[in-house]
Amino acid sequence: MRNFSTDKDRSIFSTYYSTEEPNIKVPNGSSVSLRARHCILGQILYNFSMLEIKNISKTYGDQKAVNDLSLSIEKGSVFGFLGPNGAGKTTTIKILTGINSPDEGRVEIDGHSPEISSVREKIGFKPEEPHFYEYLTGLEFMKFAGNLFEQSYKKTDDEYLEIMKSAGIYDARNKIVKNYSKGMRQRLGFAQATINDPEYIFLDEPLEGLDPIGRRELKDMVVRLKSQGKTMFFNSHILSDVEILCDKIGVIHQGKLIYTGSVPEFCRGKNLEDRFVDEIEKINNS
Amino acid sequence: MYGILVFSLLFLFSITVIGSLSLGEDLFVIRSFGLAGIYLFGLIIALFTGASLMYKEVELKTIYIILSKPVKDSEVILGKFFGLLASIASIMVLMGLIYLSVVWLNGGGFDSGSILAIILQLFEFSILISILILFSTFSAPIASTIYTIVIVYSGHLLTLMLNYAANTGGFQKYMALGVYYLFPNLEKFNIRNLVVHNSVITQTEFLLTAGYAIIYTSLVLFLAHIIFQKKEF
Repeated sequence: MRNFSTDKDRSIFSTYYSTEEPNIKVPNGSSVSLRARHCILGQILYNFSMLEIKNISKTYGDQKAVNDLSLSIEKGSVFGFLGPNGAGKTTTIKILTGINSPDEGRVEIDGHSPEISSVREKIGFKPEEPHFYEYLTGLEFMKFAGNLFEQSYKKTDDEYLEIMKSAGIYDARNKIVKNYSKGMRQRLGFAQATINDPEYIFLDEPLEGLDPIGRRELKDMVVRLKSQGKTMFFNSHILSDVEILCDKIGVIHQGKLIYTGSVPEFCRGKNLEDRFVDEIEKINNS
Repeated sequence: MYGILVFSLLFLFSITVIGSLSLGEDLFVIRSFGLAGIYLFGLIIALFTGASLMYKEVELKTIYIILSKPVKDSEVILGKFFGLLASIASIMVLMGLIYLSVVWLNGGGFDSGSILAIILQLFEFSILISILILFSTFSAPIASTIYTIVIVYSGHLLTLMLNYAANTGGFQKYMALGVYYLFPNLEKFNIRNLVVHNSVITQTEFLLTAGYAIIYTSLVLFLAHIIFQKKEF
């Protein structure tokens, strides 16, 4: 059983599920059937399906890359993670995807640690400047990535090609990755991140190295994935895109989270880039 | 790797010529050179491919894509091990077939002893591949290659070392015994001399040697898994 984070949820749970009676009376006097209670439980569980980062810290040598970071990202939202170079964005995303472990704190995806391999069935990750096996073709690499999942996630050749088509690399499917341009590698990285139809997608600098058309196409992909209810977390330096795509942002500097909330709340009348630079400079000068 | 493979195949074809240079001992020379050649070329291929196996995966960051998928650390290690072992095994099968054909064409008939020698060589390679994987989880390819060459060299001298330990005392004895039990005794897998002299090992000896290889390989892979698990990417 998952842990309930609020007293309200705990109270709903104990009121409705402490008995298997067909009908029970709830505090306001009305009668609630077992079926209705199951629906309510489903809603509670849906609301709990989220990404939670609880007080994580990570130190490399004597440098604290991430310092007591806590975040809660709702299901179906797009979260932009911003920060200057070396702020701890990539370290955070590696912890979120289970590649590295935090020294302190924990990460929960739908209540479970991403370090458990089965939890990673529901995540997709595109690393910054993704690297591939250079002598495989794009399609061969997609098949390789697909084979890393359980049988139920495996796809047919046509399905792989469909994913490649939606990422805009269908024409390069039989070309070896060694001959891919930077933009094509980003697209292949994006395509392999969505191969398992993940609920959570983590993108590290997804728009880097893309031409304006490529950026537009990938932004459209993000919007489409969001409309399918996917939860997305991405690091980006391209603030204008973050402003358009994200429901919420987090700003990290020197490993510490300095802001989390909506973009308009952060901007307070300025554009995101100006506001971001102001905030970072203010901290650097203090 | 393909270059070495082609060279090894050419070598195996040419051992007939080497055999014909001997005075009536053609088959003896063909078998000696053939089995030694298969071992040597297998070793070179294992060293060059195995030393960079894990290192390249981390250095080229392809490991990010693998570890973000539902793949366990132990599966990465085992996948690398069995992948390289299968490659080396297929190369050895190819070299073995050519070698057996050459022996047969030179009147040696079906050389079953050599097949046993090649199988034991493969068991030796399974130990060496696991050691290479262990080293490549934390060191650069050149260092892994050097360490493994030292182990190959020492591993074939362990019986001598044990004799030395028996004749000495004090610290040196315990040192030699420590090395004897820590390093793999690779000479157990060398039955080439027996085979070329038409001797064979017993089934029990074969099974014990194979069991030794399986246990040693498993322990080294377990150690590699622990190191890999603790590694930061």
